[in-house]
Amino acid sequence: MLTLENIHTYYDRIHALKGISLTVEQGEIVTLIGSNGAGKTTTLNTISGILTPKEGTVYLEGERIDHLPAHTVTHRGVVQSPEGRKIFARLTVQENLEMGAFNRNDTDGIASDYERVLSLFPRLRERLKQAGGTLSGGEQQMLAMGRAMMARPRILLLDEPSMGLAPILVEQIFQIILEINSQGTTILLVEQNAQAALQVAHRGYVMETGTIRLSGEAKTLLEDPQVVEAYLGF
Amino acid sequence: MRKTFNIGLIAFAILTYLTLIGLPTRLAGATQPVLAVLLALFVYAVLRGPARETGMGLGQLLQHGLLIGLVAGLLLVVEVGFFNSLLGDGVKIQPVFDQIVPLNMAAMLNVRAGTVLNGEVSPIAYAILALYLALAGVAGGLLVHFTRSGAAGSMRGVHIPGTRWFTILLPFALFAFIYYLGLDGVTTFGNDKNIIRLLLVLMATGSGLFALRAAHAGLEQLIIGALLAVVLLCLPFVLNQFQNSVMNIVFIFVMMGLGLNIVVGYAGLLDLGYVAFFAIGAYVYAFVSAPFSSPYISALLTGMGISPQSPLLGYWSAIPLAMLTAAIGGVLLGIPVLRLRGDYLAIVTLGFGEIIRLFMLNLGDLTNGPRGLLQIAQPTLFGVAPAALTTHLDAQGWIFLLAILGSAVVAFVAIRLNDSRLGRAWVAMREDEDVAQATGIHLVQTKLLAFAIGATFAGLAGQLYAARQVNIFPENFSLFVSIDALALIIVGGMGSIPGVVLGALALKGLPEVLRGVDEYRIVTFAVLLIVMMIVRPEGILPSARRRRELHSEDAELPVDEDEQLEGGHA
Repeated sequence: MLTLENIHTYYDRIHALKGISLTVEQGEIVTLIGSNGAGKTTTLNTISGILTPKEGTVYLEGERIDHLPAHTVTHRGVVQSPEGRKIFARLTVQENLEMGAFNRNDTDGIASDYERVLSLFPRLRERLKQAGGTLSGGEQQMLAMGRAMMARPRILLLDEPSMGLAPILVEQIFQIILEINSQGTTILLVEQNAQAALQVAHRGYVMETGTIRLSGEAKTLLEDPQVVEAYLGF
Repeated sequence: MRKTFNIGLIAFAILTYLTLIGLPTRLAGATQPVLAVLLALFVYAVLRGPARETGMGLGQLLQHGLLIGLVAGLLLVVEVGFFNSLLGDGVKIQPVFDQIVPLNMAAMLNVRAGTVLNGEVSPIAYAILALYLALAGVAGGLLVHFTRSGAAGSMRGVHIPGTRWFTILLPFALFAFIYYLGLDGVTTFGNDKNIIRLLLVLMATGSGLFALRAAHAGLEQLIIGALLAVVLLCLPFVLNQFQNSVMNIVFIFVMMGLGLNIVVGYAGLLDLGYVAFFAIGAYVYAFVSAPFSSPYISALLTGMGISPQSPLLGYWSAIPLAMLTAAIGGVLLGIPVLRLRGDYLAIVTLGFGEIIRLFMLNLGDLTNGPRGLLQIAQPTLFGVAPAALTTHLDAQGWIFLLAILGSAVVAFVAIRLNDSRLGRAWVAMREDEDVAQATGIHLVQTKLLAFAIGATFAGLAGQLYAARQVNIFPENFSLFVSIDALALIIVGGMGSIPGVVLGALALKGLPEVLRGVDEYRIVTFAVLLIVMMIVRPEGILPSARRRRELHSEDAELPVDEDEQLEGGHA
């Protein structure tokens, strides 16, 4: 469904991605793990069009989408839930969710997705009229994911959904990721919490300083001695 | 009680300030009523919050009001008495306080200046002053009581039937009084009638906004809005030339404020060079309506065999051109600043405003430089000057009428825009550009549209301004116009349309009432702005969203009164 071929992305002269290739198949959860500065978020930003690769191509179902501006990438069903729970802090929860459907015109579809998001995240229903910024960390993460879901993504790019959350909330968030996936949304999940990510994902890629170091079935990676030593910390 | 006493001291300090800047000299016979109204409003402003929080009863409100009024009044009497005894002894206070002259003191006590000079002021005059202010304090308390259940019933505690109607009927009563004052032969307020009447017009228009807010959304609001509109449209025919000329500038600034409100309030792009588009609108209209005053254009036209003496376009046909040119200016400014945010954006736009002004100043051939463009044509009505149709509408009144209509159109467009997809996109972009982009908003397009639409409104306002001024010069378009427009949005309430109107009334209208103490108005406004930002950072009539931003503790409140208000407007 989504294919990256030999992607090189720069921040001015800093060579951030040094030839990334990866694929995500329809219906999969694929996780991208690695330490700080490995280039995980850069990879997501390159896919979603916020960054433009200097070399390489990104295909979405056979069509090239690198060089498209970010808002048109969203039109095509690639929706990112940004890192650090970036929600519209001063808009209400409801307005945040409505913003997610900004590019859609199908009123009925929006209404049904709205209901779906609220049933995925019952906590949000209780806080519809509250300003986004007044939510707790976990709720904000739910809101960010809910907002991304409102665009009815074909592939959802999740950037560090567990960042800064209490363990119990992390578990909840990953449950919801599984649920979203089981309803038919393909997910590319960037995580530092490698253990949790590999437990929900089908496949995984391990990144290190701008390159893909390892890849494979999530289960295999969980047991891979290199991964265990470097990222799982046993 | 101690706190109330302290508030009385603050009131006294304000009254002393007004005395020291010579306000009584200016107001003459109207001094006591005006000071009383000011004090009542002050009491209202300070007691409103506590009354809302603690659910103070009527008795307590009156008590507190009376105490504030008494403290301020008695201290003022002592102060005036002290000055008077000095003046009566022939001591010259002027080198220290240049406004403390017998005329000033006499106005304060409503006696003749000679009485003060001879030291013959009777104790009764002092007693009346103190009584006036004490009563004003009580009136302020009453006002709190009468309005608290007024505004859409949102205040906690007491709900008194009928008080809502007080808020709704107040503007109409004021307008009726204004009409009465304008009748031939009515000599209330004597020489100060014109000023008082202008003050009343400002207050009536402002209270109209509150009446709209107090009305229930739906039919009631529609009817009251329509009635207010009718009354407002009658004003230009009723007011005199001076009052009209003040009111038309107020409404020209409403148009401008609404435009800037889109750029700053909706889209969050801090634009300090907004005057540029105002200037473009004004100059474009000047070029087409008075081509002869521009050496370059008149030479060009002569070369083409067209006489530069007659206007190329009339007022109405020039509107699209002025708006379009301003919009192009907006896009031209927008493109280079696309990537800038916050402070950097403010600095670049500031520069842009100055560049346009310097162009006007130095492109001597085109703009006639500092000598300006002269004899700009007046707007007509189907080719006829309105003065030829009715004797009740003077030139300034005609401009005022056009400014009201222009403001209405601009406000309508602004409301519709706010509710549109584009409005949504602006808000999202203001909140967070990155996330906005991630939800599929085209940032470049959205930003440029904000600049262009904001500029269009300013162009429209500028054109009317050029017609009003007849002659325009580069110095009409200084940085202060931008600052004024920005300040009125901040005072009124960013992002809120009623707020813009209220801000324009307060910032462009009130200074005209206080013309006599003009040199202090910048200081006064600086203080006012600082106090505003501390006490009520969201402005006087904020939009619901803005209030939420600045008072997040109220965030759980479901629908708030302003939301109803704006919904009702739309």
